[in-house]
Amino acid sequence: MKSKKIYLLLLIIPLLSFSMHKYYISLTEINFVKEKKSVQIIMNVFMDDIEVALNKANNIDLQLTTKKELPNNDVYFSNYLKNNFSLKINDKKVNYTYIGKEYEGDIIYFYLEIKEIENVKSIEITNKVLISDFPKQENMIKINLEKEKKSVLLTKKNDKALLKF
Amino acid sequence: MKKIILLVFSLFFVASTFYAQEKKETLQGHTNQNKFRQLKDVLATPNSQHTASGAPGKKYTQQKVDYVMDITLDDSKQRISGSEKITYHNNSEDTLQYLWLQLDQNMRASDSKTPDIQSSKIPNGVTKDRYDKTYVDAPFDGGFKIMSVTNANGDNLSHTINQTMMRINLPKPLASGETFVFNIKWWYNINNHRTDGGRSGFEHFPDGNNNYVIAQFFPRLCVYDNVEGWQNDQFWGRSEFALEFGDYTVNITTPADHMLGATGVLMNESDVLTKEQQNRLAQARKTFDKPVLIVSQKDAEKIEKGFSKKTKTWKFFAENVRDYAFATSRKFIWDGMAVDINGRTVMAYSYYSKEANPLYGDHSTRAVAQTLKTYSRYTFDYPYHKAISVDGQMGMEYPQICFNPGRPNPDGTYSDRTKYRMIKVVIHEVGHNFFPMIVNSDERQWTWMDEGLNSYMEMLAELDYDKDFPITRGYPKNIVNYMSGDQSRIAPIMSKGDNVYSFGNNAYGKPATALWILRETIMGKELFDHAFKTYAKRWKFKHPTPADFFRSMEDASAMDLDWFWRGWFYTTDVTDIGIKDVKKYYSTTTKPADYKPGFRSRGSSNDKMVYFQEDTTEGLSFGANKKEDSKYHYEITYNKPGGLVMPIIVEFTYKDGTKERKTYPAQIWRYNDQEVTKVFSSDKEVTKITLDPDLETADIDTSNNSFPKEETGKFDKFKSNIKG
Repeated sequence: MKSKKIYLLLLIIPLLSFSMHKYYISLTEINFVKEKKSVQIIMNVFMDDIEVALNKANNIDLQLTTKKELPNNDVYFSNYLKNNFSLKINDKKVNYTYIGKEYEGDIIYFYLEIKEIENVKSIEITNKVLISDFPKQENMIKINLEKEKKSVLLTKKNDKALLKF
Repeated sequence: MKKIILLVFSLFFVASTFYAQEKKETLQGHTNQNKFRQLKDVLATPNSQHTASGAPGKKYTQQKVDYVMDITLDDSKQRISGSEKITYHNNSEDTLQYLWLQLDQNMRASDSKTPDIQSSKIPNGVTKDRYDKTYVDAPFDGGFKIMSVTNANGDNLSHTINQTMMRINLPKPLASGETFVFNIKWWYNINNHRTDGGRSGFEHFPDGNNNYVIAQFFPRLCVYDNVEGWQNDQFWGRSEFALEFGDYTVNITTPADHMLGATGVLMNESDVLTKEQQNRLAQARKTFDKPVLIVSQKDAEKIEKGFSKKTKTWKFFAENVRDYAFATSRKFIWDGMAVDINGRTVMAYSYYSKEANPLYGDHSTRAVAQTLKTYSRYTFDYPYHKAISVDGQMGMEYPQICFNPGRPNPDGTYSDRTKYRMIKVVIHEVGHNFFPMIVNSDERQWTWMDEGLNSYMEMLAELDYDKDFPITRGYPKNIVNYMSGDQSRIAPIMSKGDNVYSFGNNAYGKPATALWILRETIMGKELFDHAFKTYAKRWKFKHPTPADFFRSMEDASAMDLDWFWRGWFYTTDVTDIGIKDVKKYYSTTTKPADYKPGFRSRGSSNDKMVYFQEDTTEGLSFGANKKEDSKYHYEITYNKPGGLVMPIIVEFTYKDGTKERKTYPAQIWRYNDQEVTKVFSSDKEVTKITLDPDLETADIDTSNNSFPKEETGKFDKFKSNIKG
């Protein structure tokens, strides 16, 4: 089972020795685990970018990974995702639970879960994460349904995709 | 006894070939596809310039190019003008009909073809500024304006410009051992690198000041060697430079109130520095424990208000460097500190504007010093007299000087992320002094030879600077996402930088990881460090090729690594090794009823026999049949869905909680690239078998790495931790 992997193929580290070229990209891996009736989602974004977006939207200073990091900042993340990332499974809007986040280097991982899903025939994804703040933002989606894998790249022009299985 | 075994063996092999022939009606032949076959048909044939050992040979030659330049910076127009006298030494055995020079600035010329090879799309909307720049305004009037090209007598010299390359048509062929002297005059408009990007340029501040970080500012000779001929591949903007070593005499005229840092030894300190600055500099040269301010922030804040109409000229001499660069501004704070490199004092300097302080004051010069120490330890003693880090707000390296990013918040605070990122880039760019400024590989062709080697060395310096340094690339686990990605968007490391997707992973991350794995897992620190140092020492101030690196690493270590180079550098294969099956056996002296002798168990009829019985109990634990006097025998089948051959690292966890590690070299895959079976026998019962427990091999799928199978993935682990 090759499902427990995060694909970051387009997540390009800033190129040192190149003029600091900034890439705007996120990766969302959606994984359906049939025996648990669970759709597991891990989304990763560049910490700097999400910090800029949330600070602006909420007029706060998150100071992520510093001693001055705002406590309970999960509220902001969870709200931001609710407003910018939504899913329909088998044509029905579904709500996900925000389980938490973790930091690794420059990246922040969000863990989201949708429960009580018996089977997945189609997934419609709308991902506007960071798009209004960074017009060049690209959001990569990788879907893993037991045996079948699909991927799609969402952009400002095209922030929604419907995948059928 | 031996004879019998031999006989049985030969019978066995004869028999098996026989069967094989009978099974197949026609045999499809094939070339050698074994993963351990040598790279002889891939690497260039060794010769007396680049030898089979990986060292430069007795006929190795290298051109030398000396420059005498007068450069003037016009701050009011952000313009550079210059004249240079070039002395070209033809040390090769060849007669040259023409010389090629690089005109890198032409990449920014209004008729540059660089924008033409970028695909473009209409976006939904853009800022007005961006719109005007892209669709309305005339393109930036960049590029070299060549005023004259003349010979030593001042007569015009025939030349031809092809985009970023200029050919000097020699009046008569230049024979081996001869020199040719000629002159070029030029000027160009400097780009604003903050708004338009670039590897050099200026940054404009609202108060009217500019910070200049200037490089590729003069027509420079291309490399001529017996590997590429003239290395005159066009400069498209990404793949960097191939340059000859030489001596530079450079006079730079700036506004009189500018501070300046540059490649080379400053020859007229007393003309350009105040008495106080000279005193503080003398102090810095004796201070080994912390940076000494030569120009303080208070000084700089005063000076930056000046805007002097007068000028002054800085005179430098740089011996045996492959390029030249400088940084200058009214705003520069300047600090320096002495570094002891094996008894020789080398200076570490930083130049930065107040906007970069205190971040730069706290860390820049210290990071420079650390880099020189660590790199010297693993390669050769840093041969130059100084290394400079400039607040240039990019990440770009030149001999003895580099331009780095990172600034604190306006209130002077900065997060750990900002701090470590800045230190990381300073170490990286200063590290480039070793690769490629001294070990001078061809960057235009092989990005990984400097970026990959340097990204690997950078990790060692970072860990020396701070043992908890958050290293973001280079560890095997960090490259997994890239290597397991969409194969149509991955290129082998042995690809030209201009043409690869995911440049950072291809040319920095993956080769750094490959070297890390060689050192930590395959060769061991001692063998690797010796071989790496051998390569660096052999090729300092010379032009190595990939084959020279591959061959030196093997030559100095007695390790055949062709399989590793082939897999990691020439293919996009991945590591994925798994446990397919585990069978358990116990031993007994009682002959089982269904016993069938195999060829291994044949002895003479009088020999005592020990028989193996499979224990079919579920999982790893043994049932009641196993007696006290039997060892625990495990027959483990490892499979390899991934294309790379790698060592199999197995951790056995015993019932009492203790662990044992066994590493089988990669050569275990030499007969069968799909799966191998291996026996492990122990006195204690094993409860768990784990492959690559420390994530040393960049295994892209760890779900098959344990027995009994562990089902918990990243998501479930995180979830249970949160609840925990």
